[in-house]
Amino acid sequence: MKVKGVVILIVVITGFACKSSSSKPSEFVFPEVDTVPLSETQKLSPEAIADISKNISSPVEIANMLVNLDVPFSQNYLATSIDANKLSTNFDKAIKLGILGADLGYLNMYEKTGSSLDVLSSIRKLAEDIKVGQFFDFESIKRLSKNKSNLDSLLFISIDSYTKIDNYLRENDRGQLSALMIIGVWIEGQYLATQVVSKVPNKMLMDRVGEQKIILNDLIFLLAPYCNHDSEYTALCKNLQEIKDKYHDIRITFTQGDPISVEKNGGLTVTQTETSVVEMSKEQLDGIIEITKNIRNRLVINN
Amino acid sequence: MKKQLITLSLLLTFSLLSFSQGKDELRSSCVMSAGANAKFLKDFVVQLGNDAAQNDFRYKANIALWKNTKYRFNLCSATDSKGLLILNVKDDGNKVILSSFDKKSGKTYPYIDFICQKSGMYQLSYDFTNGQQGSGVGVVSMVK
Repeated sequence: MKVKGVVILIVVITGFACKSSSSKPSEFVFPEVDTVPLSETQKLSPEAIADISKNISSPVEIANMLVNLDVPFSQNYLATSIDANKLSTNFDKAIKLGILGADLGYLNMYEKTGSSLDVLSSIRKLAEDIKVGQFFDFESIKRLSKNKSNLDSLLFISIDSYTKIDNYLRENDRGQLSALMIIGVWIEGQYLATQVVSKVPNKMLMDRVGEQKIILNDLIFLLAPYCNHDSEYTALCKNLQEIKDKYHDIRITFTQGDPISVEKNGGLTVTQTETSVVEMSKEQLDGIIEITKNIRNRLVINN
Repeated sequence: MKKQLITLSLLLTFSLLSFSQGKDELRSSCVMSAGANAKFLKDFVVQLGNDAAQNDFRYKANIALWKNTKYRFNLCSATDSKGLLILNVKDDGNKVILSSFDKKSGKTYPYIDFICQKSGMYQLSYDFTNGQQGSGVGVVSMVK
């Protein structure tokens, strides 16, 4: 029975993968996740869960895009209302650990490393509270932040600390906290992007917001096994579904083409000629901005 | 007997520690080899035994890549590896988008820059040349 369930799931996922790449031009559509019973998603292997966790974009990617687009830094986007000393449940601690991780990525990318010390202290407190403090290399990150000397090392150690926490939680049957942390990172990244795009309507940034449709289902899959855990999890599952609903009619199509490779300085540069195109109306974008803001603010303010 | 057990435990601990240290050093040096304009995203530690008969790359991981981003894939092999770490990237239609290994010439590239124009899920497949034994690190970063 278990095997049958996994096979059904694989067929659904494979069907979606083929659907999104077979015709010319092809179109991305949500897999019919609603047709897969919740109990089936609970049978995802640890490897599949690990894979999904790694798929979700890094918190520094959105921040990097903002830097490249010369979007000015704003302290107002940060989740400054979070008080790590006032949180009581592990749900709150894990999701806010994710949210603050995205903020740390934003601060680092803008080299506002002096301002990141408060965020770092909160991260350390939350990590210690959920018994993963040993993986957060606080002293090294603090030292590198103060020096402002080596952004490469700072990014590496920060991201590596989060990866180690994520791995440890999943390997020790605390996957629900890992899922919350990843969702926290994503929601804050999405919040940063949507807040900026509401003030600076840049096409590339708008497209990036629309393209999140591609990974939204993975986030839903990640949390699905815990939706009935308690009321906090149930509410978050409902929130993700609300975001998904806003994305339903956004179209992502793909044009075909072969990559072009050129040898350069001993390495290889490959330029993709296939493209993805996002079709999203202003109303649709406004709907995403609004729902993201509401959900993120509820998570941040409701200590 | 007790002495032998203690010696064995110490030896095992020492080898595990040296391996772990070596792995961390390789990871750090590989991240640094991406260059000053590269911003670290993820790394994959690959350890594989000898399997010359295999047809497909053995270590696989999925990753979301985004349009209008230039990614750099660095490949670093440990000095005691028999083969060199190589990489294939496939899109969600299973089409090979790039490869760090030219089968015809046998040439391997230590890094590949990829200018992504199609957002989506991609599969990274790592192996060592000719299916040989090896350990290495694949680093993914963004470059301006």
